[in-house]
Amino acid sequence: MNVGYVFEPIQKDEVTHQQLVKYAGASGDFNQIHTVVPYAEEAGLGGVIAHGMMIMGFIGQAIGEWCSVDDLAKFNVRFRAMTRPGEKITVRGSVVDETADRWVCEAEAVNEAGEVKVKGNFEIRK
Amino acid sequence: MSTSLQDKIGMQLETYTFKVEGVKARELALAIGDLKEEYLKGEKLPPTFPTVIDFWGGTQNTSAVLNLNMKKVLHGEMEYEYVGTINPGDVLTVKGSVENAYTKAAMNFFVIKKEFYNEKGELVLISRSTTIERH
Repeated sequence: MNVGYVFEPIQKDEVTHQQLVKYAGASGDFNQIHTVVPYAEEAGLGGVIAHGMMIMGFIGQAIGEWCSVDDLAKFNVRFRAMTRPGEKITVRGSVVDETADRWVCEAEAVNEAGEVKVKGNFEIRK
Repeated sequence: MSTSLQDKIGMQLETYTFKVEGVKARELALAIGDLKEEYLKGEKLPPTFPTVIDFWGGTQNTSAVLNLNMKKVLHGEMEYEYVGTINPGDVLTVKGSVENAYTKAAMNFFVIKKEFYNEKGELVLISRSTTIERH
């Protein structure tokens, strides 16, 4: 690795309603804005939205493919835009800096139109 | 900032223990579509696994404790510091508190900090989650 290195992007399959139900069950986050369409509409969201943590999980998947999760020291994200069923997410990342003992990297999850859904940083122990 | 919001800063959440089961790693990995063999075998945990501990561990619903309107709640930020290693089979003790609470741009922000300790008493993970409540 070196500063400026760009990781191979990870292309995820389309997010589906079924996946959100599965993610709700696995994570234990049963907030109905993620799974129950009438509830999400009533909440003013115009339909269900994906769990932000699932999209962070997509980035986590990419980190495991780009590096080793055993070396992961820090991982933080900001949830920037809502993701809805039907959207296809790509995870991109690069090495932006280094310290004596860590590689500092950036990553983002974007849809097909390039809208940034989740943006964050992670640090890998050297 | 409303007084009631500021009053929540420093609030301690329920301390609870959680046994990390490999099968929960498998379920999470399958839901994300992160199909690495070590996750599917329950031998290793995906980086966002602690969210499983947040939601399945303990009896207290943090959103309820903070008196949040669930229809207005969004996740703003998430941070994990992997201070040590968590392995399937570990029994963790989780201590949480409200690190910050403030109002900005007609929204309430709550920063929840959690510290995860293993059975040896070693701090293995620190998480910070920012919850946003729209007005």
